Amino acid sequence: MQSPAGTEAGTEAGTDGRTGNRTTDRHTNGNEDSAHVATTQTPPTASGSAHRAAGSARAGTGTRFTRVLGVLTIAALAVLALFALVLSPPDVVQGESVRILYAHVGTVWVAYLAFIVTAVASGAYLWKRTSSLTWDRIAGASAEIGVLFMAITLFTGSLWGRITWGTFWVWDARVTTTAFLFVTYVGYLAVRGLGGTHEQRARRSAVVALLAVLEIPLVHFSVRLWRSVHQDASVAGSTDVKLDDEMLFTLLLGTVAFTMMYVWYVLHRQRVLAMEDALDDKGLDLALAERRNEGLEARDMTEGTTR
Amino acid sequence: MDHAGFIFASYIAAFGGSAGLAWYAIRRGRALGRQLPDEDKPWI
Amino acid sequence: MNDPSPVTGTSGHVATGVWRTARLIAGKDLRIERRSRVIVNQVLPFAALVMVLFAFALDNDDVLLRTAPGLVWLGTIFSLLILVQRSFAVESADGALDALRVAGVNPAGIFLGKSLALAVQLVVLEMLLVALAMVLYQAQLDAMGAVLLVTTIAPATTGLAFVGTLYGGLAAGARGRETLLPLLLFPVVAPVLIGATRATEAAFGAGSAAIDEGWPWVGVLLVFSALFGVGGTLAFGPLIEE
Repeated sequence: MQSPAGTEAGTEAGTDGRTGNRTTDRHTNGNEDSAHVATTQTPPTASGSAHRAAGSARAGTGTRFTRVLGVLTIAALAVLALFALVLSPPDVVQGESVRILYAHVGTVWVAYLAFIVTAVASGAYLWKRTSSLTWDRIAGASAEIGVLFMAITLFTGSLWGRITWGTFWVWDARVTTTAFLFVTYVGYLAVRGLGGTHEQRARRSAVVALLAVLEIPLVHFSVRLWRSVHQDASVAGSTDVKLDDEMLFTLLLGTVAFTMMYVWYVLHRQRVLAMEDALDDKGLDLALAERRNEGLEARDMTEGTTR
Repeated sequence: MDHAGFIFASYIAAFGGSAGLAWYAIRRGRALGRQLPDEDKPWI
Repeated sequence: MNDPSPVTGTSGHVATGVWRTARLIAGKDLRIERRSRVIVNQVLPFAALVMVLFAFALDNDDVLLRTAPGLVWLGTIFSLLILVQRSFAVESADGALDALRVAGVNPAGIFLGKSLALAVQLVVLEMLLVALAMVLYQAQLDAMGAVLLVTTIAPATTGLAFVGTLYGGLAAGARGRETLLPLLLFPVVAPVLIGATRATEAAFGAGSAAIDEGWPWVGVLLVFSALFGVGGTLAFGPLIEE
């Protein structure tokens, strides 16, 4: 029996062109996956030391660059925790609550960076000269970590606000815009999940992302104009901190550490998305091949001939 | 330390969230990586 | 109709001109409404009901008077959801939207036409809600206020119509997508809600807002409409392409 036209040569290991073997291989691989993953993954600890096994290059999305980057990121985050929680002094005005800012500023910076990258990547996808699904995957990966970091930003910010201003929430332009960005990107991720071909998904979400670039400044401006009537603009001013050298260092370290985390994640995640897309394509080819083989086998049986 | 609860909650959220995301990324990468041949992985 | 037969242009789009396409499509949507009366029979009563429910929830005449502008525009935005869903429901029957695209109708024309029809429906809705605010919440309108209100309604309505049509086109179609519409639409209409409400507060004189304070907000609404008019015209085609 010939391999049907359209399936790539050398798809899964152990395939010899017969449907039976192919499906068995897929089942075996699937079982291996869950067993293997269950025994080798350790749950992360609160201090951020995610387990990164030195597995073979083929099994995962790691390369030497990302492994080095990953180690450096963990180191940077550890040093950040040390300085932020222990070594740096409390602020003259804010007291201990300034320690929250060392994490908060890093996450808000990454959240906005992720938003910008998603927008730029979406534009790059839509622009014919640079169009490639890799841009789409970068946009998607960036949005995922962006949404998480925006949630963390809002959470840490509200805790800091509770201490400093006495309220968990304040209706000023920056806070409100961050909340809107969060919701907008949740919507963006929902649009990515709508299904269809990879190109449809890419085009749809790229357009939505660029519309968000249009919408967010409008929201920010409207809220700022709105609150200026209530003279709340001055609230944002009290985030100013008199920084001594150690505090400034810790703030910058926080920004750098979380940015490294962002780069590491986007690299890994867009590779995972590439694999998911490839698997989708293969899955379709495989399903088509299996249907064709079923048809041929049924015909064989009814005609009583062997091939 | 004043407000220790809030401070630690912030760091657990920031670091824990990052770690969780990282763990998810690695795990998904391994699971998919086993199903695909190397030629589908341009980064190798 | 004395339409000359359309000529196919080099772009592959039927070269009847964007504006003429828009008028034809707007006319079609409004004619469908005139014959089916779905909006008159269902959406307008819904909007009126929402205004009544607000009164039940807020339970205080002073609060109602003070918040009347906000309630008018909240009612508008809630009804916008239904209007947008209706606007695209008439297209999904028999795959009409796909037929339009396959026939080579310029998507910009479809976008502008559907926005125009939606805007007409919205204006009717808003006038009803303003009237109800005056009746149910004792809101008051003098001559200058009325001028401000009318100048507010124009850009606010076009803005809502543009974003409604844009995201409605995205959320229409395959099953499981309709629930996406509120999530996508509501963040985007926030500037309209803020701007229209502040301007309407000035028009009603509610909450001691002076008429003058309303005009900057009309400017904000104009900017919003312009940006999403252009953005929507460009984005609608790629968004509905399947």
